[in-house]
Amino acid sequence: MTVLNPLFAISAQTIGITLTLIIIGLGLAWLFWRSFSGKEVDRRIIFIFIFFSVAAPILFKISFTFKAIPIVSALYDKVESLPAGSTVLISYDFDPAMAPEVQPMADALSRHCLSRDLKIIYMCLFPTGQGQLEETFRTVVREEFPNKKDGIDFVNLGYKAGGEGVLNVIVTDFEKMFPTDVNSVPYGDIQVFDNIKSCQNLDLIISIGGGRPGIKEWVLFVGDPGNVPMAAGVAAVVAPQLYPYFPNQILGLLGGVKGAAEYENKMRDEHEQFKDMPTPATTMMGPQTLAHIVVMAFIIIGNILYFRNKRREEG
Amino acid sequence: MKVKLLIMVVMMLALSSFCFAQDNATEAGTEDTDTTAVVESIILPAPPGNLTGIDKPNDHGHAAILSWDLSPDDGAGENSVLKYEIYKWVPQLMLDINLVRDSLSVIQRILRNTTSGITEGTQADSMKIVFEKYSRDELFDIRNTLIAHVKQENTGLAEASNSYPENGAWLFVDKKPSGTKSFVHIGSKDFKSAGFVPDFANLYYRVDAVTIDGAKSSSKVLGPIQTSGQWYNTYRTPVVFSVLFFTLLTIYFVREARKGADLYVRPLGGIEAVDDAIGRATEMGRPILYVLGLGSAADIATIASFTILGRVAKKVAEYQTELLVPTYDPIVMTVAQEVVKSAYLDAGRPDAYKEDTVHFVTQSQFAYVAAVNGIMLRELPATNVYMGKFFAESLILAETGALAGSIQISGTDEIAQIPFFIVACDYTLIGEELYAASAYLGKEPVLLGSLKAQDYAKAAIILLAVIGVVLAQFEFGAAFVNLFEVAN
Amino acid sequence: MKKTTIITFAVISALFLVSWIAKGMFTEGSSPFLDGFLVTLAAFLTLAIMSFLYKDNPYYKFAEHLFVGVSAAYAMCLGFWSTIVGNLIPRLSSGISEFFKVSYIEGDYNFIYFIPIIFGILLLMRLSPRGGWLSRWPLAFIVGTTAGLNFVRYLRSDFINQVSSTIVPLMIDWQGFGHFFSNLNFSATGQLVMMFSNLVIFIGVTCGIIYFYFSKEHTGWFGRASKIGIWILMITFGASFGYTVMGRISLLVGRITFLFRDWLEIIS
Repeated sequence: MTVLNPLFAISAQTIGITLTLIIIGLGLAWLFWRSFSGKEVDRRIIFIFIFFSVAAPILFKISFTFKAIPIVSALYDKVESLPAGSTVLISYDFDPAMAPEVQPMADALSRHCLSRDLKIIYMCLFPTGQGQLEETFRTVVREEFPNKKDGIDFVNLGYKAGGEGVLNVIVTDFEKMFPTDVNSVPYGDIQVFDNIKSCQNLDLIISIGGGRPGIKEWVLFVGDPGNVPMAAGVAAVVAPQLYPYFPNQILGLLGGVKGAAEYENKMRDEHEQFKDMPTPATTMMGPQTLAHIVVMAFIIIGNILYFRNKRREEG
Repeated sequence: MKVKLLIMVVMMLALSSFCFAQDNATEAGTEDTDTTAVVESIILPAPPGNLTGIDKPNDHGHAAILSWDLSPDDGAGENSVLKYEIYKWVPQLMLDINLVRDSLSVIQRILRNTTSGITEGTQADSMKIVFEKYSRDELFDIRNTLIAHVKQENTGLAEASNSYPENGAWLFVDKKPSGTKSFVHIGSKDFKSAGFVPDFANLYYRVDAVTIDGAKSSSKVLGPIQTSGQWYNTYRTPVVFSVLFFTLLTIYFVREARKGADLYVRPLGGIEAVDDAIGRATEMGRPILYVLGLGSAADIATIASFTILGRVAKKVAEYQTELLVPTYDPIVMTVAQEVVKSAYLDAGRPDAYKEDTVHFVTQSQFAYVAAVNGIMLRELPATNVYMGKFFAESLILAETGALAGSIQISGTDEIAQIPFFIVACDYTLIGEELYAASAYLGKEPVLLGSLKAQDYAKAAIILLAVIGVVLAQFEFGAAFVNLFEVAN
Repeated sequence: MKKTTIITFAVISALFLVSWIAKGMFTEGSSPFLDGFLVTLAAFLTLAIMSFLYKDNPYYKFAEHLFVGVSAAYAMCLGFWSTIVGNLIPRLSSGISEFFKVSYIEGDYNFIYFIPIIFGILLLMRLSPRGGWLSRWPLAFIVGTTAGLNFVRYLRSDFINQVSSTIVPLMIDWQGFGHFFSNLNFSATGQLVMMFSNLVIFIGVTCGIIYFYFSKEHTGWFGRASKIGIWILMITFGASFGYTVMGRISLLVGRITFLFRDWLEIIS
């Protein structure tokens, strides 16, 4: 897709979006008519609809803006309110399979914390989280904050096997679990840890994940026993199960890509310096929105047919 | 060889410690002289008053809480206090030991090849130069000897602190911004760490008010205070009470159930649906498919499922319908075979029992799903029962069953999978209902007893919530709400 | 083999080769053909898995088995290097630590780490037909400690703290009806919305628990409360379902973005 001039670019995008909407609308009408007249609809047609409604917004870059809901702004406000020099722990408790959903929030949170001069301790409870951590280092930490120094402004502790066992130890003693960081620098030589002996000295812990061990284990083993402020960014599937912990046991929660998009939007709205930051989650909400509309249309069509058939059977 | 080496090292340490101790002493001393010198040029802030300190309660020791009254100059005009600095008095012995600790850290770094961070010209650098001459084996020996030395010397710390104020120095602990009135000094419990604070030793603290010009005035010295660990953390009393409450309740009801007490469990819709569904299958002449899920034989959900399988198998034997039980786990298969066999026996139809009713499929999640789906589409069972632990396969199974037109009854305690079962099945036992169903059918004492105990705990929650919500409207209700606060 | 099978295979192989060469030619970097191969392989494996939506086929099976095998091997290697070499060996002996190039963590009671080794070996006895019963000891240890550890923590986080979270004032900042109506608004932090949220929490928790109360027949007011409970449960499951749809579509977006951006390069 070579773009010749801005005018053409705008029109190409508009044409694309319009065409997509028309095709999807016509398709749904056809689907409704077909099933209404009692013919079976192959499930593969539904797959094509979903593929189309996801692919088109990616190609034509449809995006929306989102207002942060209280549970998201609570985390944002907490990060904003921490004084410079406070220490935040960000734990990467996810693997590449979950990454499309939660990597955007991990990046946004790292960017936000570093720009506010907070010190970050990175670690992961998922073995493959280490790779995702490297991704953040490559795209955010080293790229956007070249002046921040390893060991002084942030430290990467890497992966430690043991899940809850690790948490059970670091709630009272970091050094016991992490005698060195990921680059074998001894604990005592890492400046970030000068005033940090255990999780209880931290100002905020953010667990990003969606599996086990994850945020629930953090709350159970560190947040509650250590009285440490906790927040989380999680894959959408587990978000509803974590709501009961808000606001007493976790102070904020980013649920799925929507939570991440809301966080990105809030960062962009409130800080001039983030105007041009990459917003992968917001970009992802375009396909999300269209796909959700299509799914809702399916549900409505399905229910109309269900009630009609029920009435017919009764009649 | 070893002894010689040790003597050398200790000699060297003694020499260096003497030099550094001098430095420390002068540092500590000069502070006082500094302040007097400063008086002439800059106005000193008023010192913080009324410094008090106690052992931090409910901890493992090695920590103290200090509190003081703000300096009258805190937040007042030109001479405003910028920060408070907390100092601790330590005996000379502690300084000596700290030196050994520092040398230990340097040895450790040499052994780990991480000496690159050591800045030239520092104390660590000179130590590095000395130690680098030794081989790794020798360094290991030196290290072990030094650790033993530190450990040995630490025992004398408590006694050495009695010499206050002679033979020691003030060490900087931490700084706090103006407006701070208290500080928790959490020392290390590890004797090898520089921040080690011995328990049951006399500790002396002082707090300095510091202005922007660096002018300081010290509070009166606090001390001696001692730290100690406690066996019981009073903050966690609510946890002890609830642990006791739950445990006793469970033990009591399990005992009652064992004695054969009549513990009422209400009938559940899903279980009655099972009976109807078996009747339907008989009428249609089609089999019943029973899936035990992916859990192991030790999972409560699977155990509960065995009881329900027993009930289903008995009915099936009575009605002479066909039963299919494909299993995922070999141990689950063995147990399920026993359950079905005895159910046929109970129904008085042991002859109708077939060995391959319960069969093993595979231990690969999606291969198992594919096989079960195949059974559903080929055999077209009239009823599918899914009870036990289910994961990502729940929707795939339930959807295929719905497409095949079977009546479906499900039950699982995996919260994430319940919504999928609810949309695709005719009846779903939600979470605990699965256990209840099993307790209702099987009257197994442990299940029945714990179900009863849970019911009482639930009643307690409702009661506490109602009382709490009413009391929360009033000022005095706060005390009740605080009962549930588990501080650290 | 059927003719169509061979033709399909040939076409797919040809497409793979074309993609590889094209990617190799247009990719910049030190090893363009290797990078091109990896991206093409990833893209074809993605497509192979997606092809299941059409129907089950050998390409899907191949990709699935490859995934299962690779992840099992990866988990095993990682388990060895992070648990045994990472956590155990540095506490066992300096000699073995030296061998694995990890730093030895000295301690006075390091000999107790031989207990987990023995338990670990006993756990492996499951593989032996005659010594299988020995694996029950470490299993009993695992079950016992996990239960003990979790019992207290769950009780604290999921029981006591949740009870205290349910105790919410139903009347917030109440200064009479006049004040309430004159300050009526629908903002998330407004008096009306806050009071309504607290009411939902209280009623939701109470009725939800009543639904799961098995010692009493659900009739009369108790039955009505249990009805409300099941409604609340259903709404929760609906929300959870909605979130799941969002999660799954995010993953699809991730894959399609990969195909469009990294493989086909039609978006930036």
